[in-house]
Amino acid sequence: MKILIVEDEPKTGAYLKQGLTEAGFVADLAREGWEGLELAKEGHYDLIILDVMLPGLNGWQVLEGLRRAGVEVPVLFLTARDQVEDRVKGLELGADDYLVKPFAFAELLARVRTLVRRGHAGLDAAVLRVADLELDLLRRRATRSGRRIDLTAKEFSLLELFLRRKGEVLPRSLIASQVWDMNFDSDTNVIDVAVRRLRVKIDDGFASKLIHTVRGMGYVLENGLEDRA
Amino acid sequence: MKALSLTTRISLFFAVAASLVLLATAYVLTQAVEAHFEEEDRYELNGKLDLIQNLFRHASSQGELDRLPQQLDDALVGHHGLAVVVTDQAGNIWFATSGADFPHRLLQTCQTRPAACAEGTLHQWQKNGVSNRGIAASITAGDGTPYIVALVQDIQHHELFMDTFRSVLGIAIALAALATASLGWAVTRWGLSPLRKVTDTVAGISAERLGARLPSAGLPAELMPLAAAFNAMLVRLDDAFRRLSEFSSNIAHELRTPISNLMTQTQVALSTARNRDEYKEILYSSLEEYERMAQMVGDMLYLAQADNGLLRPGLETVDLSSETTSLFDYFEAWAEERGVSLVQTGSASVPGDRLMLRRALSNLLSNAIRHTPQGHTVRVTLETPGDKAVVTIENPGPEIPAEHISRLFDRFYRIDPSRERKSDGTGLGLAIVKSIIEAHGGVLSVISANGATRFQLTLPMTGG
Repeated sequence: MKILIVEDEPKTGAYLKQGLTEAGFVADLAREGWEGLELAKEGHYDLIILDVMLPGLNGWQVLEGLRRAGVEVPVLFLTARDQVEDRVKGLELGADDYLVKPFAFAELLARVRTLVRRGHAGLDAAVLRVADLELDLLRRRATRSGRRIDLTAKEFSLLELFLRRKGEVLPRSLIASQVWDMNFDSDTNVIDVAVRRLRVKIDDGFASKLIHTVRGMGYVLENGLEDRA
Repeated sequence: MKALSLTTRISLFFAVAASLVLLATAYVLTQAVEAHFEEEDRYELNGKLDLIQNLFRHASSQGELDRLPQQLDDALVGHHGLAVVVTDQAGNIWFATSGADFPHRLLQTCQTRPAACAEGTLHQWQKNGVSNRGIAASITAGDGTPYIVALVQDIQHHELFMDTFRSVLGIAIALAALATASLGWAVTRWGLSPLRKVTDTVAGISAERLGARLPSAGLPAELMPLAAAFNAMLVRLDDAFRRLSEFSSNIAHELRTPISNLMTQTQVALSTARNRDEYKEILYSSLEEYERMAQMVGDMLYLAQADNGLLRPGLETVDLSSETTSLFDYFEAWAEERGVSLVQTGSASVPGDRLMLRRALSNLLSNAIRHTPQGHTVRVTLETPGDKAVVTIENPGPEIPAEHISRLFDRFYRIDPSRERKSDGTGLGLAIVKSIIEAHGGVLSVISANGATRFQLTLPMTGG
């Protein structure tokens, strides 16, 4: 998976590149609008991460140039302005997602994975599995080691999100927005409580734990892993 | 173009008004004097005409007629500027005083329009730069012979008088206009002197001296409302300025704590060699501080946008009861863990921005849940009295002291300043609620009494 980062702020660019490389992507970095556009046209990337404020061409102009050249690669905008007009403008020009600075790296990673997956859409499975945990999406039923687990509707959605993104660290803000459609930071530990309750239902009484806390980042569902804290 | 000063305007107005009034008076006066002179001339000429007519009437014989010119000369002697001509019916001059120079027209009047001649119409004309008035009439001598007599009065002395009169009037008007203009200027300067005093006071008010007020004592009645309005503005300005400077000092304070934490921690960490886990622990701790700062900055940006009127809510129809249900769904597990139950009654829909209203309700709800003692209930009531939607979020719990109520929605305002930062969020939650509700044209109020705190949102149900 190849990702192009177009970002003029040196520290941000370097850390994004390092973070994405360590997450298993091949990442290239361009520091300027024109350079980014040229690389994007030639490089056969799976995703472009575009800063809006760039020297030379700005992010919107790069995106316009790309779409005009017929390059339909998914684009994720990074913007320091969280004004509605900016978001609308980016999305109108054909950006696939946007993220407002400052953002959590886990959040960026989660969104990057969503976009990259969208580009390589797989078959929608009717049953999701990890280890001995099974989630039947049609019958809305969860079992572990063949034993039925009673879940509320939201708990089911939460578990479904974990299973679809298994192995990915999911930040609290992403969980809140995907499961409850709450797109703002809450000063409560609502997500922690919800995850703790789900954990009790699926992990209590089993030797191998599936849901893990990643301190400072969020939660991950993975088989055979200690809490990364 | 620069606007004329009030003083100049008023002085000019005075001058123009005075000139107009005086000009009109002068016109009337001139007309009256002219009319008087004309009347006088008519009277004079008619008197002479009567005299001549009388002489002719009594001349019934040829002898008497022959003596007539002598009698006429005698009668008219001493009348300066008066000339008389008498002709017979055919127009032949029968008698003329010396220097009489008649326009032919006058003599012919009686021949062409006898009616006008009988009325004694007064004629006026100019010849060789000399103005004259004259009348012509038909008379009959004692022997029945008809004659035509014409009298002419030289009115040069009238004209001279009128010329002098006009120029004196002109000078008087000019002087009067000048005098009223200066008077207007002086009066305006004097009348506006309280305004200059007010200006001096206002000019002396700087950001540091917003406490200054305009003294209303000694001000003319017209300036009283201005001073009152200005003082009211100063009060609002003073309050806003105080809040703003408090806000910036709060920002500095709120940011100083995490930054100093980070600095100390990093310096201590670097002061000696540590193992991997210790470094990791320090980074995690820093991350928590960063996250809190990022959220604070995000909230402050949101509020700054609200202050600059950049938060313009969309106008979709928002079903507040289904929003409340979603939020209950979200907070359910957390509330349950704290032993707090959530109850919702009623329904209401308002035009507005779903995301913004949801954020406001979420802040109020999490606030209510946090302050509810275990085993109690948070109640959300939706009502629609009239054209308003009222959302009431009520929770039992310790009352908020009255002195804090009015400042509850201020940024970074905390009832207990020593309260731990972490449990209290950024301290901007309620300020954000207030901004959102005000952007929707609504009102946010709070009552804390009888062991319960009740936040109330009143939102208009009609768009706008």
